[in-house]
Amino acid sequence: MSTTADSGVLVVTRHPQPGRSLARAALDTALATAAFDQPVTLLFLGAGVLQLLPQQDSASVGVRNLRKVIDSMPLYDLEHYYVDAEAAEHFGLTAEDLPSGAMLVDRDAQRSLFDNHQHILGF
Amino acid sequence: MLHTLSCAPGHPAVKDCIALLRANDALLLLGDGVYIALQHSEDWLALQQSGASLHVLDADARAAGVRQRLAACFTVVDDDGFVSLTEQHAQQMAWY
Amino acid sequence: MLPGSAFDGEGFLRDMQAWTPAVAEQVAAAEGLTLTPAHWEVITLLRQYYRQFDSSPAMRPLVKWVRIHLGEDCGRSVYLLSLFPGSPAKLASKIAGLPKPDNCL
Repeated sequence: MSTTADSGVLVVTRHPQPGRSLARAALDTALATAAFDQPVTLLFLGAGVLQLLPQQDSASVGVRNLRKVIDSMPLYDLEHYYVDAEAAEHFGLTAEDLPSGAMLVDRDAQRSLFDNHQHILGF
Repeated sequence: MLHTLSCAPGHPAVKDCIALLRANDALLLLGDGVYIALQHSEDWLALQQSGASLHVLDADARAAGVRQRLAACFTVVDDDGFVSLTEQHAQQMAWY
Repeated sequence: MLPGSAFDGEGFLRDMQAWTPAVAEQVAAAEGLTLTPAHWEVITLLRQYYRQFDSSPAMRPLVKWVRIHLGEDCGRSVYLLSLFPGSPAKLASKIAGLPKPDNCL
């Protein structure tokens, strides 16, 4: 059994929206955890990085604009979150596209995030 | 840590899971994920290279008809074996 | 006055577009509140939050949001509780015509 992990929650969000509600569920989980003052880390992995695309206009399809919700994360004291660097490049997300709290991480850094969290919730 | 993978071969999560697997990890294939263990698919080659211990859930392998065609690097586990894996690993990541 | 059918079982407005300041007064009255300029400051900020972030805030981000815009004295839960007793994020969202906050008790 691993003893390196601390007690925080790592939320791994791997699906784009709006096709599935998983993206929304991941974000709500992270925000609710933060709202209750619990340590939480968010990792956008694979196609999950597509949630960060700017200029979303989802009003006509009746789902939330996830990028706007993501932009509210500093108000939940979630100042920083991690973004799969390879996927961001693959999908053509540039530094200007990404919110200021986004920190690009390679595979090694992603493995460290897994190591450092006792609880991992994959969405 | 324990990874459970229940996506069919070709799903993008399979690639991400393989990329993050490490030698002291365990992987359990469930549901559609059992096809990855097919001897002839060669999808398991990358899994084997990770050095992680590789497992397939018996009931799902039987249901999919792959039980007799598993690559040799996989250990078949039943539900009790699944529970044991969760006991041996404090952390778990579900890929689905 | 909007009919009762305009609201859901918890008293939240079903159609955000139907909100007017008069609706806010109606909802507040139903909750036993009379709106003062201090209430209106928070209601206006909440509606601005919703436009900017496409969500209703839980208590913690609401406090921070109010602190950013109205300063330290107002950006405290005690102050918001005095204006909107019980559950300020939920009650103020209801009066502001916003959906119930997702991450709120």
